[in-house]
Amino acid sequence: MKCPVSWMREFADLPASKSVSEIAGAVAAVGFEVAGIDGDVIDFEITANRPDCLSVRGLAREARTVFGVQESRGPGVQESRGPGVQESRGPGGQVTIESTLCGRYALALADVTVASSPAWLAERLTACGIRPINNVVDVTNYVLLEMGQPMHAFDVARLAGPEIRVRLARAGETLTTLDRQSRSLDGTMLVIADHDRAVAIAGVMGGATSEVSASTSRIALESAWFQPASVRATSKRLGLKTEASSRFERGADPAAATVALAYALDLLERIGAGRRVGGITDVYPSPAADRTLALRRSRLDRLLGDQVPDADVVRILTSLGFAVTPTNSDWHVHVPSWRVDVSREADLIEEVGRHWGVNRVPATFPALRTAPHRSDAGVLRARRIRRLLCGAGLQEAVTFTFIEQAAAEPFVAAPASLVTIANPLSEKFAVLRPSILPGLLDALTYNRRRDIADVRLFEAGAVFSMLGERQRVGWVLSGARHVHWSQTSSDVDLFDALGIAELLAEAFGVTCRSDPATDAPWFVAGRAASLLVDDVAGTRRVGVVGQLRPDLTAARGLPAGVTVVAGEIDLHELHGADAAPHRVTPLPRHPAVLRDLSILIDASLPAASVRGTIRANAPTTLVDVREFDRYQGTGVPTGQVSLSLRLTFRDRDRTLTDAEVQQALEAIIEALARTHGTTLRGN
Amino acid sequence: MAASSIEDLSRQFRAALDAASSPADLKALRDDFLSRKQGRVTALVKSIATAPPEERRALGSMANALKQEIEQALDARDAAVLATARPKDAMDVSLPARRPWMGRRHPLTQVRERVEDIFMAMGYQVIEGPEIEDDWHNFEALNMPVAHPARDMQDTLYLSSPVPAPDAGRAATLLRTHTSGMQIRYMEHHDPPVRIIAPGRVYRRDNFDATHTPMFTQVEGLVVDEDISLGDLKGTLNAFAEEFFDARVATRFRPSFFPYTEPSAELDVECQGCSGRGCGLCKHTGWIEILGCGMVHPAVFEAVGYDADRYTGFAFGVGIERLALRLYGVDDIRMFYENDLRFLEQIAL
Repeated sequence: MKCPVSWMREFADLPASKSVSEIAGAVAAVGFEVAGIDGDVIDFEITANRPDCLSVRGLAREARTVFGVQESRGPGVQESRGPGVQESRGPGGQVTIESTLCGRYALALADVTVASSPAWLAERLTACGIRPINNVVDVTNYVLLEMGQPMHAFDVARLAGPEIRVRLARAGETLTTLDRQSRSLDGTMLVIADHDRAVAIAGVMGGATSEVSASTSRIALESAWFQPASVRATSKRLGLKTEASSRFERGADPAAATVALAYALDLLERIGAGRRVGGITDVYPSPAADRTLALRRSRLDRLLGDQVPDADVVRILTSLGFAVTPTNSDWHVHVPSWRVDVSREADLIEEVGRHWGVNRVPATFPALRTAPHRSDAGVLRARRIRRLLCGAGLQEAVTFTFIEQAAAEPFVAAPASLVTIANPLSEKFAVLRPSILPGLLDALTYNRRRDIADVRLFEAGAVFSMLGERQRVGWVLSGARHVHWSQTSSDVDLFDALGIAELLAEAFGVTCRSDPATDAPWFVAGRAASLLVDDVAGTRRVGVVGQLRPDLTAARGLPAGVTVVAGEIDLHELHGADAAPHRVTPLPRHPAVLRDLSILIDASLPAASVRGTIRANAPTTLVDVREFDRYQGTGVPTGQVSLSLRLTFRDRDRTLTDAEVQQALEAIIEALARTHGTTLRGN
Repeated sequence: MAASSIEDLSRQFRAALDAASSPADLKALRDDFLSRKQGRVTALVKSIATAPPEERRALGSMANALKQEIEQALDARDAAVLATARPKDAMDVSLPARRPWMGRRHPLTQVRERVEDIFMAMGYQVIEGPEIEDDWHNFEALNMPVAHPARDMQDTLYLSSPVPAPDAGRAATLLRTHTSGMQIRYMEHHDPPVRIIAPGRVYRRDNFDATHTPMFTQVEGLVVDEDISLGDLKGTLNAFAEEFFDARVATRFRPSFFPYTEPSAELDVECQGCSGRGCGLCKHTGWIEILGCGMVHPAVFEAVGYDADRYTGFAFGVGIERLALRLYGVDDIRMFYENDLRFLEQIAL
């Protein structure tokens, strides 16, 4: 709201010594942020709850209260409360309100000579950002700016008389508005209609046909109150925001309709634009009830944490237009009709606090009366994961939750499971991510295109499907495993990505095993693993790890030949020993006996099967089996691999003898041969 | 042959030793004096045979002493040179080191956790909740009924079709526009006293440019008890600002409007860039707005079934990006979402 200080001074006896910027600063301090100052004009930001301050008089009222000054004698009429004259004769006919969406409708006739406005009036409009049009329209805009009451002037000759009807639009009805746009109306929209058709969209914009023009000789001047929600809905639906709609949708002053109309008629006469014809027609079926609220001293003190003296409470509220009656230590407060935002005691306390000064309230600290509660497990879990993965050398990324449909689709079984946004800002932000990986892949590509080749990223956050929201952690790795002048680098592969999964599982006390994954088509076939956890409840999948398909990475702009490995874990499934403390096992007191075994196996036989057979056929003294070499090539028959394993034997209570370890080893070799047809390498 | 020539030789050796600096010099010096064939000391010893018999004994012992002295000096010098010489397998320590891989938490996470830590130390519980929300929790229970003009303050992104809630609650229809809905979710299931913060991502239908982003991070705070006052809100947020900015920063509260608080205010801190004198960072006001806050609106208490006469409370919402922009001196909010490693690797470990 652009407000010239000179205009404001007509309604507030502000100290002459105060500069424009001092006045701006003082009014800003009571809740009206200043967007800018241009000479005499202050541009105030008016919060949605204060439609009364979308007016010069409203802002002047705040300024009066700030500076503790009286109302100066403005040229306008005094504010009045209560309904106007109850007449219901229209311009030669009846005014009828056919919908409750209109609370009050006042109308007056005037004979006019349409011309330009006097300079002072045109200048004020211009200063407030409204283009002067002609003396009649300018008067309606002047009243809107000064009082916050929108008005509209119809050319009576262009109305199909004799009646004015305030009704809902008919299905299929259209109206060409003042901006020359043809508007399709529907049955939820309130219109002003003459005998034949809609001539204005109530509270939003008038029609072009009945617009005041140079040839207009008689006008019908409208000043009404429309239901805020209705105006807001219509304005939204039509995509049409006006000075009028922005005031009506926040709540105009129902008592102001006739006052503003009388003021507008006076102004027309004052500038020689016209003369009223007859009286004001005012249809006001159920006048707004008086609002009186109780303000308790105890509540005021308790909510503010400060004791504002009685005299200041009364001074502040009275200056703002409230009528205050003391009752014992409390007050009865009558709320002025323009304060549509004040409906309960807390609202009054805010008024007192605002003008007393929030900055004057002494700062205290609330007592902690109960022991603090433990934070949500998910919050603490996410913190652990971040620290763990940062320690493992991964950089945390933050990517958008909404992504392109094309980026999301490869990561779901069916596009129907994607959660889509009804009103996305652009195609780039159209669906909620079904996985952390598409965002990370795009971040990796972004870096790769800037010649940053070695990228390791992770992100923990929500993913979405039509089944709901889940928390996951995802990671992508690409480029060299080590970068140093002393050695040739090797690129990361599937096992680096699997290692991250193992680390996470271990941190949460879960033992994970990997199985080939065939239902994660975003990974290269044969290079994808399901992360499985076996526990009393059965086997569950906690995540997948694999190498991203090259066609998919190419589609996101990654250069050909760049390998990306990735993994993702569902944090809801990673709940093993999460809460339980990790208990330690006592360290062994007896030495271990190590035996290495090199066997030839079928190349397709998973290492896990070999380990399983070894464990199943070993005494309990076998405490560890670990592969340390896998070799294919010279000396190994085609279709086979040489697998070398180190077996660790140890007993808790005694030192094992060579003989018994040898015996165990032979049993294992025999079982391997029997089960898998393996042979010892070199035999 | 005289004792004086032995002393001369000794002097010559001392001078030569002082001049010798490299192993090669020392080797040449050793040869010059001690070589069995041409060594000067060797020649001296040989020449003793030609001396008068009565002097031979004394000369012999002087020559031997000189020989020993030279040998010892050369040995000592050899050892000293050896100790400072660059070994054959020496490494060039000025070459680049092999650094262990170490990731960093994202700057937004670092700021968010810093905010969380400050409030946790004040006894707050950190809670989290869904990012897709229903209308009740995001708007209605927060005193923003349908058609409330304040809904325009937060341009909402809606889902094409509702997503069922996990707990058979209301289906989600929108992306939460603030984490304030967590106030409702928490109070619906807990009695006062309440002391929580709820961090998380929030969404608005905003453009993506240097100063706007359709996704950002917010930390909502809520305290409810008997006799919580605006003074308590001020004390708490002043303490937070001091801790966060690690200094005694000046703060000011400006009245504002939020539908779910009454009275409402915004907290400004003195601009760190210009110490309040006014600069481009603070648009020449000397102040930087860091959060919105206020006393919980009684309608919010009524929505969750709290006795609005018995309890009072305060709530606040901190924008993490806003704090991060100040903290790291970043002037384009998009940098936080590009994940450019050249940016992220400048952030402290």
